[in-house]
Amino acid sequence: MSARDDILAAIRTGLTHGRDGALPRQTPAQIAAEAAALLADPDEIRPALSGPDPVAAFIAKCANPALGVTLERLAGWEALPQAVAAYLTRHDLGPRIAVSGDARLDRLAQLPLETHRDTAPDEAAAISVALWGIAETGSVVIHSAPDQPILNAMLPRHWLVVLDETRILPFLDDYAAPAAPAPRNAVLITGSSGTTDIEGYFVRGAHGPGFVHVLLISR
Amino acid sequence: MADAAFKQRAHDALADTNLKTAIDRTTGTAETKRAIAVEAFPEFQAARSRAAAIKDHVIANLDHYLIEFERNATASGAQVHWARDAAEAAAIVTKICTDADAKIVTRAKSMLGEEIGLPHALEEAGIERVETDLAEHIIQLAQERPSHIIWPAMHRTREDVATLFFKDHHPPPEADDPAAMVASARRVLRAKFMAADVGISGANFLVADTGATCTVTNEGNAELSTTPPRIHIVTAGIEKIVPSTDHAMALLRVLVRSATGGEITQYTTFHCGPKRPGDADGPEEMHIVLVDNGRTRMIGDEFRQMLRCIRCGACMNHCVVYRQIGGHAYGGTYPGPMGAVLTPVLDGLAQSRDLPHACTMNGRCEEVCPVRIPLKTLLKAWRVRTWDEGLVEKPLRYGLGLWGFAARRPWLYHLGARMALPVMRLFGRGWIRRLPLAGGWTDSRDLPAPAARSFMDQYRRQQKDARK
Amino acid sequence: MTTPPAVGLFVTCLVDAMRPQIGFATLKLLEQAGCRVDVPRAQTCCGQPAGNSGDRKAAAALAKQVIAAFEKFDYLVAPSGSCVGQIRSYPALMDNPGWRRRAEDLAAKSFEILSFLHDVMGWRPNGVRLDATATYHDSCSGLRELGVEAQPRALLESVEGLEMRPLNGANVCCGFGGTFCVKYPEISTAIVSEKSANIAATGADLLLAGDLGCLMNMAGRLHREGAATRCFHTAEVLAGMADGPAIGEDT
Repeated sequence: MSARDDILAAIRTGLTHGRDGALPRQTPAQIAAEAAALLADPDEIRPALSGPDPVAAFIAKCANPALGVTLERLAGWEALPQAVAAYLTRHDLGPRIAVSGDARLDRLAQLPLETHRDTAPDEAAAISVALWGIAETGSVVIHSAPDQPILNAMLPRHWLVVLDETRILPFLDDYAAPAAPAPRNAVLITGSSGTTDIEGYFVRGAHGPGFVHVLLISR
Repeated sequence: MADAAFKQRAHDALADTNLKTAIDRTTGTAETKRAIAVEAFPEFQAARSRAAAIKDHVIANLDHYLIEFERNATASGAQVHWARDAAEAAAIVTKICTDADAKIVTRAKSMLGEEIGLPHALEEAGIERVETDLAEHIIQLAQERPSHIIWPAMHRTREDVATLFFKDHHPPPEADDPAAMVASARRVLRAKFMAADVGISGANFLVADTGATCTVTNEGNAELSTTPPRIHIVTAGIEKIVPSTDHAMALLRVLVRSATGGEITQYTTFHCGPKRPGDADGPEEMHIVLVDNGRTRMIGDEFRQMLRCIRCGACMNHCVVYRQIGGHAYGGTYPGPMGAVLTPVLDGLAQSRDLPHACTMNGRCEEVCPVRIPLKTLLKAWRVRTWDEGLVEKPLRYGLGLWGFAARRPWLYHLGARMALPVMRLFGRGWIRRLPLAGGWTDSRDLPAPAARSFMDQYRRQQKDARK
Repeated sequence: MTTPPAVGLFVTCLVDAMRPQIGFATLKLLEQAGCRVDVPRAQTCCGQPAGNSGDRKAAAALAKQVIAAFEKFDYLVAPSGSCVGQIRSYPALMDNPGWRRRAEDLAAKSFEILSFLHDVMGWRPNGVRLDATATYHDSCSGLRELGVEAQPRALLESVEGLEMRPLNGANVCCGFGGTFCVKYPEISTAIVSEKSANIAATGADLLLAGDLGCLMNMAGRLHREGAATRCFHTAEVLAGMADGPAIGEDT
């Protein structure tokens, strides 16, 4: 017998001859119904949002210093180039940024900046567009795609991420449906990279970015 | 019973004041942060019950969900492998690496990887293994095993880490504070991430309806380990299945709060198959190794409830014994209360007979367990087996036998008390500093002398007097 | 007038041999609260040492003895959370359905003294006075298996002249753990030493708790370290019997 057969057989033996008594085996439909019932009344098992609406809640979460995030609201996509230039100047990062390839970031070309695609291992700054935001936790979500290199979000010291506020979902569970297409890699990013591995001290920028700046595009 | 090796390890750990400092710093912070997170989440108790119910549902239908997961993972382009035990799992991983002629392998921390002996297996195969989690990097340099499932290097103080990094990092860290040391590790490991041929990660969840594996980290090392190499391998215990992403989220809420006191980890990452056509980055192959290694044996008895465990580490952070002796003294892959339940399954009861006994049964572990595992009950179940299998040391066995014989005969028991108590009082009237055969107590504590006459004796005389 | 409840006092083997005064304090409190109390002679031990060592057979035999001796009462009351915790777990030791039913019946009417006085009898101390400062340790079984937490504190609040001081880590185990403390004395000592440091830091005259095992462990360590803290069972204070020798003081 293959390992697969052995393991599945051992599971069935355990479930039907166990010391705790045999479990009645269910049909796939029964299993699905039971699984769905376990998701009933979601408000009983999740925290209340930290603001009156998802956008306010998202902004409130990002204000939590523990996340190591800064957030800036922009009136529209047109305001993006100026905001990016100002950020780079403010942090003394030089006129250079890695850009993910999202067409909406093409407008950065109008700046006197050097923009490029392939994020270097020691890149100072890079910018991506988030697919979703999650108000419950202040997370942004990226899905690997031709115009969404995962490393663009992981390698730089400063990661700038653009999020359209219409893309903010209230709760983590609300992301389950958009997660269904299952890209190769879906990453929920909540704040900057950090570690508490040395005596529990929180240190930013362990492997990923030490600075995350959310550029929130208003409706 | 007390196995000399366990007692010796505990003795050595207790003598190490540096270790105690390190444990207190990390577990103290963890305990405080968890308490704050739980306080801020009034739904926590309901969320724990739901989390436990989700895990029970999965285990009761584990065959169904594994097949569903396999189907969906395969459809995404991943290759699914099955391993009956640790050796088989390690062999599968090593073979994938050698077949791909891999020279450098990066690993994102996975306790299952430790359980199946992957570090050793890769070394045997002559493959350079790079641990990328900061704590795993520290213990790789120190050539040690993890002492905690969330903070594997928690037994190391910042001074220890500085010594290791200054010796091994070229150039050395700019200073010996945690921030400078983290920056140095970032520099050293960054080059390895980009050069790796294979990246190996574990999984916190296997999502049945999408075929994705989910890993949570705070450092971001999972994405960096799994994106640049040609091959991504996931090793995961078969109990990690959840029906859907929704269910994963419900578990995530209690997992992270219980582990670090956060609401969510900085990086929560779902991997589903290899790089898609046109994707900007990602590996060309993805392999998932589903590991049994004793888990199916637990399904058929009371230890089934242990398969709920989501590896948060709260039980050890709140364990008085763990906080004195640390993780290495337990001698297995998993320390603390959850380790004391799991290690006898993984390593055999005779090997680890002390673990279920080296517990005060104070119940704090199950009070904080996010999936309500009855740890005390399971530890007691192991104690019953040690008794039944003759693994309890003889003096205790005989002593308890004698006690039980008398206790089941009240007349004899009360007579014995009347005779024994005055004898005990020969050793002292107030405090007894030394008592033969009671060194376990009197080596470090004074013993209050017993009463001259027992309660039952005094009470009977009072009743008699009252009737006169 | 309702009939006063019939209470069987389960003395516990430790109290019987080591500190009978706790038994008499419990008896006095139960009578003050309006109970008719009897002390069945056919009692010895609840079976915890056997149960906690894995000897299920001996634990079950002792459980049957306790059930037979106490099932005729309205309540079983004991001055120990851990013994009552053991008694409440008797049903799991019984394979025979008849015995299991009897075990369940007894479990349902078994109480630790302080929660019994507070929750079941609605009793409050009246005119009890003790001029001292004290701190309180939550014994684990009482706290986590029986929910004994607010009751002793509420009752102690009514003791005149008694100033309670909070204990850092009051709900953390003292390292007793029954046979644990002699099987793994080094670990137990390390745990109780942290506890004694916390107790000493309160500066309180007295340490109070609801389980004699824990009290002997903490008192024994405190005395070995030369601390002046005096240790009593909470029931002794409430019964006005904390004016004499404390645990370990020459009687």
